[in-house]
Amino acid sequence: MKKYILLLMGLVSLTAIAQKDPVISPEDLNGIRAIGSPANPKVKVYWNKYSDQAEITRICQDLAKAYPELVKLESIGKSVEGRDLWVMSISDFKSGNADRKPGFYIDGNIHANELQGTEVALYTAWYLAESFQTVDFIKQLLKDKVFYVIPTINPDSREYFIKSANNPHSSRTGRRAFDEDGDGLTDEDKLDDLDGDGNIVMMRRKSATGRWKIDCDNPQRMIPAKQDEPGEYEMLGYEGIDNDGDGLVNEDATGTYDPNRDWAWNWQPDYVQRGALFYPGTLPETQAIKAFIKKHPNIAGAQSYHNNGGMFLRGPGAAEDDPFYDRADVDVYNFIGKLGERMVPGYKYFVIHKDLYTVYGGEIDWLALNRGVFTFSNELMTSYKLFNDKAAAERGSNQEFEEFDKYLLFGDGYVQWKPFKHPQYGDIEIGGPKKNYLRNHPGFLLMEDAHRNMAFTILHAQQMPKLEVIEVNNKDLGGGLTEVTATVINRRIMPTHSSHDVKYKIERPDYITIKNAEVIAGMIVENEDFNLTKEQKNRPEKLEIRNIPGMGAVKVRWVIKGKSDKAAIEVDSMKGGVVSKTI
Amino acid sequence: MRTKLLILGFSMFFSCLYAQNTYNSHAAITSRLKNLATKNNASGSVQSIGKSSGGKDIWLFTLSKGEAAKKPGVLVVAGADGKHPAGTEINLLLLEKLLSLPADSLSSVLSSKTLYFVPALNPDALEQVVNKIKYARSGNATSTDDDRDGQLNEDPFEDLNGDGLITQVRIEDPTGNYILNKKESRLLVKADPSKGEKGKYLLISEGVDNDNDGEFNEDGEGGVNIDQNFTFDYPIFEKGAGEYQASEPETRAILDFLYKSINIHTVLTFGLSNNLSEAPKFDRMKTNKRIVTGILEKDALIGDFVSKMYNSKTGLKDAPAMPQTKGNLTQTAYYHAGRFSFTTPGWWVPKVEEVKDSTKKEAPKPVVAKKEDSSPEADFLKWADKEKIDAFVNWTSIKHPGFEGKKAEVGGIAPYLMQNPPVKYLDSAAVKHQRFLAELLKAMPEVQIVNPKVESLQNGVSRVTVQVLNRGLLPTYAEMGDRVRFVYKVKTEVKLANGQSLISGKKTNYRGALDAGEVIEYSWLVNGKGKLTVEAGCPTAGIQTIELNIK
Ligand SMILES: [Zn+2]
Repeated sequence: MKKYILLLMGLVSLTAIAQKDPVISPEDLNGIRAIGSPANPKVKVYWNKYSDQAEITRICQDLAKAYPELVKLESIGKSVEGRDLWVMSISDFKSGNADRKPGFYIDGNIHANELQGTEVALYTAWYLAESFQTVDFIKQLLKDKVFYVIPTINPDSREYFIKSANNPHSSRTGRRAFDEDGDGLTDEDKLDDLDGDGNIVMMRRKSATGRWKIDCDNPQRMIPAKQDEPGEYEMLGYEGIDNDGDGLVNEDATGTYDPNRDWAWNWQPDYVQRGALFYPGTLPETQAIKAFIKKHPNIAGAQSYHNNGGMFLRGPGAAEDDPFYDRADVDVYNFIGKLGERMVPGYKYFVIHKDLYTVYGGEIDWLALNRGVFTFSNELMTSYKLFNDKAAAERGSNQEFEEFDKYLLFGDGYVQWKPFKHPQYGDIEIGGPKKNYLRNHPGFLLMEDAHRNMAFTILHAQQMPKLEVIEVNNKDLGGGLTEVTATVINRRIMPTHSSHDVKYKIERPDYITIKNAEVIAGMIVENEDFNLTKEQKNRPEKLEIRNIPGMGAVKVRWVIKGKSDKAAIEVDSMKGGVVSKTI
Repeated sequence: MRTKLLILGFSMFFSCLYAQNTYNSHAAITSRLKNLATKNNASGSVQSIGKSSGGKDIWLFTLSKGEAAKKPGVLVVAGADGKHPAGTEINLLLLEKLLSLPADSLSSVLSSKTLYFVPALNPDALEQVVNKIKYARSGNATSTDDDRDGQLNEDPFEDLNGDGLITQVRIEDPTGNYILNKKESRLLVKADPSKGEKGKYLLISEGVDNDNDGEFNEDGEGGVNIDQNFTFDYPIFEKGAGEYQASEPETRAILDFLYKSINIHTVLTFGLSNNLSEAPKFDRMKTNKRIVTGILEKDALIGDFVSKMYNSKTGLKDAPAMPQTKGNLTQTAYYHAGRFSFTTPGWWVPKVEEVKDSTKKEAPKPVVAKKEDSSPEADFLKWADKEKIDAFVNWTSIKHPGFEGKKAEVGGIAPYLMQNPPVKYLDSAAVKHQRFLAELLKAMPEVQIVNPKVESLQNGVSRVTVQVLNRGLLPTYAEMGDRVRFVYKVKTEVKLANGQSLISGKKTNYRGALDAGEVIEYSWLVNGKGKLTVEAGCPTAGIQTIELNIK
């Protein structure tokens, strides 16, 4: 009997929850659910593979269909070859106007061979939607903020990388064709998949004068012969033939540019910054994204996923732009970046031009310095992940990838060397890493790293401003006048305007407005104890505040006619959202 | 009846000579260009290369015989900054003059060259010159928050005296720091306390402070000045420069056209800077950095050569210094697109000589101008007075709501005039620039294959040798072009027939710009018999093909 009662009670409470939240599946409430993951998601996705455009479209559409109050899908334009650039807006659409909440922008895959940015972006959208009902933190997050997620901003070249023959480093570009030598022809001499296996690997040839040899410990690997030792092979580069008979192999491939050099901050031409085109925004993808971001001035934080090396990168891309990052802004980045190093083992917090290389006209700089958006770019995947350890030697001479392939991938990472008859080189051998090895995560590491990097980005997003009117004091000034003093606090570390934004007035000021009151005067209180104020003569009811600092507050004051009992105070900040309080 | 006929005859006479006496609206420019294309359909055509942010077509007039893109080209652009309609008018007149040349002299130019004209790059802004209220507007129709305060166009100009012109307002006020110019009492100058001068007037633009922020007319309808929106040396977050580099459709339209027209050798701009009256100097410090900010050494020599050509062919003197401005078309065309790029306003205020005392017969002494006497405004008024141009709105009292009880007067130099005289002055400017353009076209590069030679070696092997020569007075393209990806190198290619094979020598040879008179030799060892062709040149200097016979 007692058992029954217990069972009954259990049933009742289960039913109660189920009635309260019909969206939560029973599996999500019992022991099959692994903590941190939805056990029975409405939208089924395998996170140990890469998605092509059709699958990306399916996931986006399914999420929008399954969670109409959380996920809205739109296409913001088309790529060069006419594919949709999908944006998912993710927020609790039932509470407040989503486009007026602090917004966080996420994209991935601007470099098309860097596939997994897309998967991290998709995972984030999926996780947020599927966890909304079960994880209170996420529920609050989506109440406060909106996420704009573009899984791939280079869909043409992604499709080309996935569906056509490539090597790990090829197809970084987009697919717009340019005539490289002025002869009116494009794509005259591309990479050639000699054996038709979808991978472009290396070519080697036995040679009496060659300076390369096979690594005895690791026959897959070619190493340079010692200085005083004869070699056995010469290396002939990536698989290819001289298609146009000009004595050069693979010299004229489609789209030899860099979409991440197409952005309008300190843009420089190709001879200064390799990969640049005519002007920033030559590509339709760049134009579409810029238009979207300009249309959403509520975007306060951004993440653009790349691979590889395990880095949280912040700008600037060029040393001469360092002065645009002052202490206060750098402090925000430092907080997130340093915490990130703990959240994602093996990843380092870096500055692009100092720790990586100089980049002019990069997307990160445009977001951060033209739009005033706090922006990180994560370089996903690092050899640290292979054995959860730092590489024993420099990249190029380390053996982690070969060893990992041998013990954990059972040889799946490489095309084994095999003979081939080449039209120009004669008898050669071809072999080497498959296109999805080295830079893109092996399947079983993908989901873990997607989650960790998403968590880093959620940390970043959560620190976007959160404003609150915490205190309103009324003082009778006599003569029928009341003095109303209000304090507005920002409960996060990100200010409503970066210092850089304040300096160049990128975004309009925040407005703190008193409503339903006849205002005689309005002022910003600079120091309440010493009664230092700054009056705003024009439109005193709508006070213009240059910035509400991170974890800081501003105080404003009005002198109004009569009593303030009907008045309300509204804070309207582009990047901080809209909040109000009735007195 | 007779008067009517006379008037009719008179107006016909006028329209034939294009002697319109005001600047053109976009509609008038459009019909002017379309008429020219219709009348000259053998060599001229007009097309739109894009639309302004206000939806107006940006017209391109192509002057060419045969395949335009196959011949070296010169692009003539004007009206990037809307406050310079004179540039647009000179550009149009120049085109009209070329088209009225005798047929044979025009076709001799067009047999080997293509001329492109974009006379009104910023049509939205240029339209202001025919609008009811005139102010020298630079910007297009993009709505801009000029003072970046979150409100659009909240404090525009007002025509306080109702004359259709936006000038200035002076207010007598003890806090003002302007006084009357001693030599030209219509003008005001800043008082200089170090000379014991005390200010008397406040000087503001014609308008009221609509938003009570203490600043006058700081955010009116203004848009983006296309000539500040280009990529080189872009002025970030400056009023009128746009939100970012190349943010405007006009900017992108002309850059797309320029980059894709790989035959354009030289860009000539009528605009508000001048590198033709005086050529820029070479400065090694500016060229040996990753970001090049000074003209390259060889290009500086060419700049000098072309500048001398300009001064002698136009006969223009006393040009005011008009340094290059940030984010402009001219510098972008050179530093980023890698083309030769020259610019001139085309017209400036001529110097008015002081009337000399003819009784004294001394050698004229160089006049050392006193700073306060020789402002451009004073010089302009002197010239305008001489020419009887009604250039000054005389100070007249008004009631200004911002300065109640104070003496406020509207007046000043009429908008536009200082850089845009009445159009009748521009005809001679166009004639002068036509002479310059003709000479420039004559100097253009021309790649030729000379001294071809076929030597028969043994057993069917021949040595083929050619020399590739630039016969022009200008290099095949700017030295800067050798750095720019989208300027194509000089290519020499041997094309073999079936049964022939190459034993030695590269099939395709690339090299950098060929200077004036420079020659380069190539030779190949060919196995086989019959005809083969050699092709040499580059899009900016022409491509020549010859046929050789191997026995
Ligand atoms: Zn990348």
